[in-house]
Amino acid sequence: MIRVAVMLGVILLLSSACMPLELSFTPSSEQVSIVFLISGDPADEEAYRALVEQFMAEVPAVRVELLNIPGQGDFRRRLTADFAAGTPPDVFLINYRRYGPLIARNAIAPIDGYLAQSAVLRREDFYPQALEAFTWRGELMCMPQNMSSPVIYYNKDLFDAAGLPYPANDWRWEDFVTTAQALTRDWDGDGTIDQYGFGVEATLVRAAPFIWMNGGEIVDDPTMPTTLTLSAPASREALAWFVDLQNSHRVVPNAVAEAAESSLSRFLNGRLAMLMESRRVVPEFRRIEAFDWDVAPLPLGKVPASILHSDAFCIAAASLHREAAWQFVEFANTRAGQSILARSGRTIPSRIDLAADPTVLDPQAKPHNTRIFLDAVPTLRTFPALATWADIESAVDAELKQAFYGQISLDDAIAAATARSADFFSQRE
Amino acid sequence: MRQPSALFGFTTLRRLASPPRRKQFERLLWHCLALSVAVLFAAPLVWLIIASLQPIGWPPPRTLVWFPHGVAWSNYVEIFRVAPLGLQIGNSLFVSAAGMLITLLTASWAGFAMSQLPPPSRGWLVGLALLLLLIPSGAVWMPRYVLFSSMGLIDTYAALVAPALFGTRSLLALMYYWSFRRVSPELYESASLDGAGLWTVWRRIALPLARPTTLAVAVLAFSHYWSDFVDPLLFLKSTQRFTIAVGLRMLQQMDATNWPLLMAAVTVMIAPVLALYLLLQVVLNKDMNFLRRVIHPFNK
Amino acid sequence: MTALKRSGVTSASSHLVDPRFLRHVQLWLMAAPFLFGALLLVVLPAALSFALAFMRYDVLAPPTWRGVENFVVIFRRDVFWIALRNTLVFAFSAAPLQVFGALLVALLLHPERRGVRLYRAVVYLTNILPDVAYALIWLWLLNPLYGPINLTLSWLGLPTPAWLVDSRTALASLVIVAAVRVGEGMLLLIAARRTVPDSYYDAARIDGADRLRIFWHITLPLLVPWLLLLLIRDLVMAIHSSLTPVLLMTGGGPGYATTLLPFLIYEEAFTHLRLGEAAAMMGVIFALIGPLIGLAGWLTHRWWGDHAG
Repeated sequence: MIRVAVMLGVILLLSSACMPLELSFTPSSEQVSIVFLISGDPADEEAYRALVEQFMAEVPAVRVELLNIPGQGDFRRRLTADFAAGTPPDVFLINYRRYGPLIARNAIAPIDGYLAQSAVLRREDFYPQALEAFTWRGELMCMPQNMSSPVIYYNKDLFDAAGLPYPANDWRWEDFVTTAQALTRDWDGDGTIDQYGFGVEATLVRAAPFIWMNGGEIVDDPTMPTTLTLSAPASREALAWFVDLQNSHRVVPNAVAEAAESSLSRFLNGRLAMLMESRRVVPEFRRIEAFDWDVAPLPLGKVPASILHSDAFCIAAASLHREAAWQFVEFANTRAGQSILARSGRTIPSRIDLAADPTVLDPQAKPHNTRIFLDAVPTLRTFPALATWADIESAVDAELKQAFYGQISLDDAIAAATARSADFFSQRE
Repeated sequence: MRQPSALFGFTTLRRLASPPRRKQFERLLWHCLALSVAVLFAAPLVWLIIASLQPIGWPPPRTLVWFPHGVAWSNYVEIFRVAPLGLQIGNSLFVSAAGMLITLLTASWAGFAMSQLPPPSRGWLVGLALLLLLIPSGAVWMPRYVLFSSMGLIDTYAALVAPALFGTRSLLALMYYWSFRRVSPELYESASLDGAGLWTVWRRIALPLARPTTLAVAVLAFSHYWSDFVDPLLFLKSTQRFTIAVGLRMLQQMDATNWPLLMAAVTVMIAPVLALYLLLQVVLNKDMNFLRRVIHPFNK
Repeated sequence: MTALKRSGVTSASSHLVDPRFLRHVQLWLMAAPFLFGALLLVVLPAALSFALAFMRYDVLAPPTWRGVENFVVIFRRDVFWIALRNTLVFAFSAAPLQVFGALLVALLLHPERRGVRLYRAVVYLTNILPDVAYALIWLWLLNPLYGPINLTLSWLGLPTPAWLVDSRTALASLVIVAAVRVGEGMLLLIAARRTVPDSYYDAARIDGADRLRIFWHITLPLLVPWLLLLLIRDLVMAIHSSLTPVLLMTGGGPGYATTLLPFLIYEEAFTHLRLGEAAAMMGVIFALIGPLIGLAGWLTHRWWGDHAG
């Protein structure tokens, strides 16, 4: 009996060390295998898988392994782990707000050269705003795949039931608040609100468009920022309006309600009338059968403005198959490649020629009002390109969230955020 | 002069009631107390099951009514559809089994060595084990990560099973030590005189006498690897290698407030651990003096 | 017996290799995996951590020497001090509660009556649950709107705190979650209680002492070494096992109310790629815990050195 256990133990020990060897398909000598890392929900993964399959069909010499890490935090940590182990993914998709640390450490191989020499892709094909977001010190680092901005998703059935007209494309902040208030209801009168008018994450990314729309700024100098300017009158006014949505108008679920059921979940279950989100939720929302929905632009302030959301394909500098990686990235950004993702609804392509294409503006596919994503393009702004921007954002988010839920005053929150982020502005790598 | 009992204040009762009746009453009281404590500790599990059977989509009940919208057994099927739970369970099984088997070997070897070594060496070894008891693995995961990555062990199961080298937790080696020590030295002596080598003594004499310990160590080791969260979180990067602990985390990331599904997944995860624990209890209860044996060396 | 031993010694001198020496070597060989494992997985990482604390390391480039600058940087960040304070408050609240709870339960459940083993087994349940599962279960239990605890409290007409959502009660919630795991301590204290000879209690009863005096003058003093050891161990464990609950239940929030040092270290190392600073923070934790561990080691040696060795 002991003998058996010993043998079993030894076998298991050996096999556990040998596990990492690829047990499945071993590539032949001409074939190159690259790893492509993304972060998304199951619907996203499906869309990217379709892209990968199509690429492998067209370029059999390159095999792409798709890895998905849902959850932004875990994705970033996994990326770090990959780089730490010296085996980073060859290609990964990352948001421009998050790639700073990697750029600063020369972990990314610039795309600039590849794009210049490409036979199928040209700079002019792409929206300059998207290219701009991924340009560091004059060099294009990553290939932007999409560009969008946050919009208001709304539940048409709830609007109908309340007898309200759907949001117009030029509605204003005041209209928005009245609409949200009309849609926040306590049906059974038990003191708990059963249906909320609006749901939003209390983060800087969501508040930024409103700050800009009010003529305010987030930092003192977007190109060489040294401090946050959230206490300036225009910025503070916008933040106060944002925070009041929960604090005084109560159209947004409070901290307790949000912890019990997320706004996204409420919207999916038909208990939230309007949700501010980026394009990423569209594939999941397309599966909704219980009610009809559409998108509306953010309500207008004094100045038209919104924030750019963009992900790009980056090639790791340490990749052993840069050429193959570029082949994949190149394919993914051709008309054909970007259409695959666009068809899933997940992205607004960064290619200008696709903007007018039915795949994006397909009146049959939801959201019917898709054109607002494209209308917003000229007004899009970005966050400053800093290696430590992620730290600054989390410092602000931690305080903004507390102010939003009424746990501290807005001025205290702004002061604390400014103080805590001060160090990070001066830490230039 | 009898002092009034501050704890229960039943002085009068005591004087009036006859000793056997008093004893009966105290026994009843004790059982009530013990039962309520047990109920308090068991309650979370009951609530867990109830929460896991609520239908998705409805807000959870705001009253103490258990199932206002019916019982959704389908949740237990849904979790396997939404996440690769089956694969993760398989991975966990592999890692836990490997860790358990290796631990049984290394812990019993170390424990046996501790019991047979003469005093100065024995003191060092046992002292080391006791010291390790106080250093939780949580204190070293970060540098361990750097170590493993420089050894190329990131994303391998070897990184997860590595602690089995020193018996997972030094407590397990110590358990064997205490158990082997209980055996009278004459038994070992006579075996050696009969020509038996150390390994034979370990295998044929020491181990069989420590069967309850082996069972306990096996269950504890298996549970350790099954429950391990931080190690797979840091050391594994391919989704197909994830164990169920990390799988639960991923599920939470996908939909943080989908309570029925989350609770169902939690139930699935703890079921094997609970089953093993139950098994251990049943088997150990036949051996009434187990606790006393383990603590024997601390008797003055 | 001694005669046999003596004869063994004399016969040994006539061999090339002293069989006792050979046996000695074999025993150390048996313990080799244990020693090797401890060296590789505990001693080496500890040394590495110490070294890293003085370096700048972001995993993408080789480490560079930084002297004490890491410590300067972390001491300047107020989040570090918040985390340190939170960690100390958490540990020094959870551990004593845990030990006290374990003592109460152990005193209740130490008699070998019918059914006691069942009660003990149920109490130990919270200890065997995997950390991840335990954290998620409590996340549900403490849910302010739908969690069973608040539902029960409101049914009883009691106030329902927001637990993890309110920055004033969030840390306290984590303390409760940690303190409830009394199973291990209970088992240890029951065993310890059993080492007290019954004769002491019989003598006390004959002398007419009542329960409270018996407890205060006999049981408690004899349990003190165990309680102290348990307290130290729980303090150390509380600090390090806080990572999983914080990661899964609060993510450090609301505000920085539940940001504890292990969580901060995790974030610094893996989200911000600042391993040198993370190692420096680990150094601070060790500076706190080191003396505790030393104390525990000394206590163990003092009380049981001759017996356990």
